[in-house]
Amino acid sequence: MLLGIDVGGTHTDAVAIDTADGVRVAASCKVATRHDDLLSSVTEALETILGKVDKNAVSQLNLSTTLSTNAIVQGKTEDVGVIVSSGPGIDPHNFMPCRDFHVIDGSIDHRGNEVRALAPRQLSEAIDACRKNGVRVYASVGKFSTRNPRHENYIRRMVCNCVDESVCEYADFVTLGHQLGGALNFPRRVATAYFNCAVWRLYNQFATAVEKALKDMGLAHVKVNILKADGGTMPLSQSRKMPVQSIFSGPAASVMGIIALTDIFHDSVILDIGGTTTDIAVFASGSPLIEREGIDIGSHPTLVTALKVHSIGIGGDSAISVSGPGGKQDVRVGPSRLGPSVCLGGDHVTLTDALNCINACRVGDVQKSRAAIDAFAAAHSMRPDDLAEAAVARASDSILNATRELLDEINSKPVYTIHELIQGKKIVPKKVYLMGGPAQALKQHLFSRFQLSTEVPDNFDVANAIGAALTRTTWELEVFADTQRHVLFIPSLSYRENIPTRYCLDDAKKDAVNQLVMHLDSLGVMLKAENAEITHASSFNMIEDMEQVGRNIRVKAQVRPGVVKTFGTGK
Amino acid sequence: MLKSTNKLGIIFFPAFDWAISPTHPERQERLLYTQDQLREEGIFDIEGVREYKPDVADIEDVERVHFCFPDVPGVATRSHLISAGGAMKAADLVMQGERDNAFAMVRPPGHHAMKVVHGSRGFCTINIEAVMIEHIREQYGHKRVAIVDTDCHHGDGSQDVYWHDPDTLFISLHQDGRTLYPGTGFPSELGGPNARGRTINIPLPPHTSDEGFLMAMERIVMPILEDFKPDLIINSAGQDNHFTDPITNMNFSARGYAALNEMLKPDIAVLEGGYSIQGALPYINLGICLAMAGVDYSHVMEPNYNAERIRQDKRTTEYIEELCRQLPKLYFDPPPFKPSDDSRHGLLSGDTFIRHKQIYYDTDGINEVQQETVTVCPNCRGLYKVETRADSGPLCLGVEIPINACPKCRAKGYKTLEDAQIKGTYRYMQLINRLDKEYLRYGF
Repeated sequence: MLLGIDVGGTHTDAVAIDTADGVRVAASCKVATRHDDLLSSVTEALETILGKVDKNAVSQLNLSTTLSTNAIVQGKTEDVGVIVSSGPGIDPHNFMPCRDFHVIDGSIDHRGNEVRALAPRQLSEAIDACRKNGVRVYASVGKFSTRNPRHENYIRRMVCNCVDESVCEYADFVTLGHQLGGALNFPRRVATAYFNCAVWRLYNQFATAVEKALKDMGLAHVKVNILKADGGTMPLSQSRKMPVQSIFSGPAASVMGIIALTDIFHDSVILDIGGTTTDIAVFASGSPLIEREGIDIGSHPTLVTALKVHSIGIGGDSAISVSGPGGKQDVRVGPSRLGPSVCLGGDHVTLTDALNCINACRVGDVQKSRAAIDAFAAAHSMRPDDLAEAAVARASDSILNATRELLDEINSKPVYTIHELIQGKKIVPKKVYLMGGPAQALKQHLFSRFQLSTEVPDNFDVANAIGAALTRTTWELEVFADTQRHVLFIPSLSYRENIPTRYCLDDAKKDAVNQLVMHLDSLGVMLKAENAEITHASSFNMIEDMEQVGRNIRVKAQVRPGVVKTFGTGK
Repeated sequence: MLKSTNKLGIIFFPAFDWAISPTHPERQERLLYTQDQLREEGIFDIEGVREYKPDVADIEDVERVHFCFPDVPGVATRSHLISAGGAMKAADLVMQGERDNAFAMVRPPGHHAMKVVHGSRGFCTINIEAVMIEHIREQYGHKRVAIVDTDCHHGDGSQDVYWHDPDTLFISLHQDGRTLYPGTGFPSELGGPNARGRTINIPLPPHTSDEGFLMAMERIVMPILEDFKPDLIINSAGQDNHFTDPITNMNFSARGYAALNEMLKPDIAVLEGGYSIQGALPYINLGICLAMAGVDYSHVMEPNYNAERIRQDKRTTEYIEELCRQLPKLYFDPPPFKPSDDSRHGLLSGDTFIRHKQIYYDTDGINEVQQETVTVCPNCRGLYKVETRADSGPLCLGVEIPINACPKCRAKGYKTLEDAQIKGTYRYMQLINRLDKEYLRYGF
């Protein structure tokens, strides 16, 4: 039995899925989300589910939580000492995330050579200043640390030289920039390391509380995973060091739900039409697309990878407005939300009211919708039916246009080889999947616009929790090898090895897969080597004075986001 | 988050799968470290800076500029068409107002490619700036354009393409031709009889550093630009004046390049040469991007930068000061064209200017001989005709009717082509009619 809990903005959804014989939803529930006490929402949902299924049969709990997101949005974060070694380039003060930010002289170049050692006196002064301000968590970030982490390690040793962090006199936690991933982007590394520290304590308190609650409920044997924004999970123990990865996992849960509920193998569009927004996601050959660099938190771009989801302000509760002169009125839907629909007791007409009027659905009190649309139409000297139809048409058009824009953006993504530019694969959707409240009601309208097979899967109302329950662990790593310097480095694992001159691309690919499997193994996740895939592999001959002096090899391997089982009926 | 003053578009196309040959400077690895540096700096996250994919130039885009023999596919590969397409994309972004300025960081380069193309010279086959400029003129009207070529090598190709065009000002700053390939680019090279003073060469002595470059910019280039009032300024942004470049002898720095671009304010910059791929390019490209975006570049610095060690000596400064006194006259008051007996410099026969040229294609080892004739016409730029032969290959003909051709020159162009078809012994013929946008080729 697999449990999935998605703590959302309004509701906390939970499901129990029985995978003993095929896949079936054994139990599901919705409880209110209490933002000031997320743990109580989680335990309430768990208790409701456990009332319906045998707790001894439960083997795993996957949890998607808004804890870190909320902490950042509400500013409930901790002061962080951010110490960076940036060397020449853009002034790092442009990326200063907080007060205790210190730039230490020293630099490492793009090959990973130390150009200038870190200034020890400056560093100890910076650390003293942080300690004076009572800082207990630190982010240590260096430019090109994913090529050579020397400066970050040095900063860490100076901040806290204890063997065991839990008893350090000066610091409780240090984030090392290179462990956040192998991508090159110093400002993002700074921001990501900062946020990871800023939510660290709050997150760990929550994790401890969840573990205790499970134990109290007799679920101590259950393996707990936390959802990430990239459509995968990480073990709870891992998430304690990488709390920033738990951010914005909600949309990913829904997308993974669709994967579980259907058999996607074409290029497709997923539309999750909610109350205030429609989330648009795109699948290429059945796999969800990932944001190229990482998501923004606040105004800070980060390295947190996420599924590519584009939100527009159109949903069932979106307000209808009319502007322009008589006879040529422009009917708009959204982006504002002025309370619930009239049929559900609100006082401003919404998309759902319009859908009620054209008999596309029957939500709440349909008569109230009619009356409100009649009055609203009269006030703008329009016929009620025209208004309702114009509103639905406008909403459908907006969704279509936003989807087109997203596809154009994806298809115009830069490439760096002639082969890719000429043979460039374009994403051309063959199918549209709809979910969310107004999905069924809008199906025909969206079908007539997209002119593509349109499907609303069963169980779509708890797709997010199903997605959470069935999502498997993902991980990615980058191998960087330089045969002139005879080093191989895997930043996210802080793994460094000497390599011989003859080391080649194939060796790097093998090493990448092996390290990925070994690492997941150490986290208690069994992975077959064939599930690890190479997503990038390049090898450049390095030439000096017309002679080849070595190879510069870069390989990226990952476990793609996926679900352990699907409900797919092949329709 | 960092926000730029100007909306900058960057077309980054490193062609990671193309090289002239495995150990050639123009190889796969060339922009690898630049990419690393730009990514690590997070330049594409700066609000106002955006990366774009290049377009691919069509055969017609190339035929609008060059006489390619035997034909375009015969001399240019896809990589050349993408490189030119990258420059065209940069132009479109600026011309359509999507971006304030744009930098095409593409390879291979193009500024040694001349009007006639039989192969590759100085690592260049297609003149990507010229293809871009003529694309602009075809799409957005006949603009006045200034090209400032800051590659260390004389931009002899761009000079040749625009030698007779009074609406294109070509200024090249480069290491003195007496000391470096291609051995041209002297102040006496001033443009054809119809375009005197529209080609300006500023040969700088070896070991010129930031001080000398910026002095030449300030005292020669900027006053000329102010007078010429171009609609567009293009920087042929070669980066081999850098103190670490392996095949040149100058002492320019990344911050110097940035300062130069801050002063020049190019609408479009196009990457040209530059082969210190680890020690220079990552920093110069970063500096140029920041300068064009209007973001502070004062912290950009090469790992081994030492201002004292690369500072130019007093004699160099004095020499450049003298250049700054002499050279502006060549634009403001160019000496009239004096026909000589030497047909290599050009002579006049009636109303026709005739010039014989011998061109060596070092990359491909081709020797070309050509005779170029231009009508000296009071009403237009004049009809351009070129007869050319590469090594012992067949004789080829190119005829260009200029964009502002008078009826007489236009008629003469078609007559020339007709005569050539009937009586000539040309294996390949190509007509560029910029006036009617007609591009024809014969001889297949």
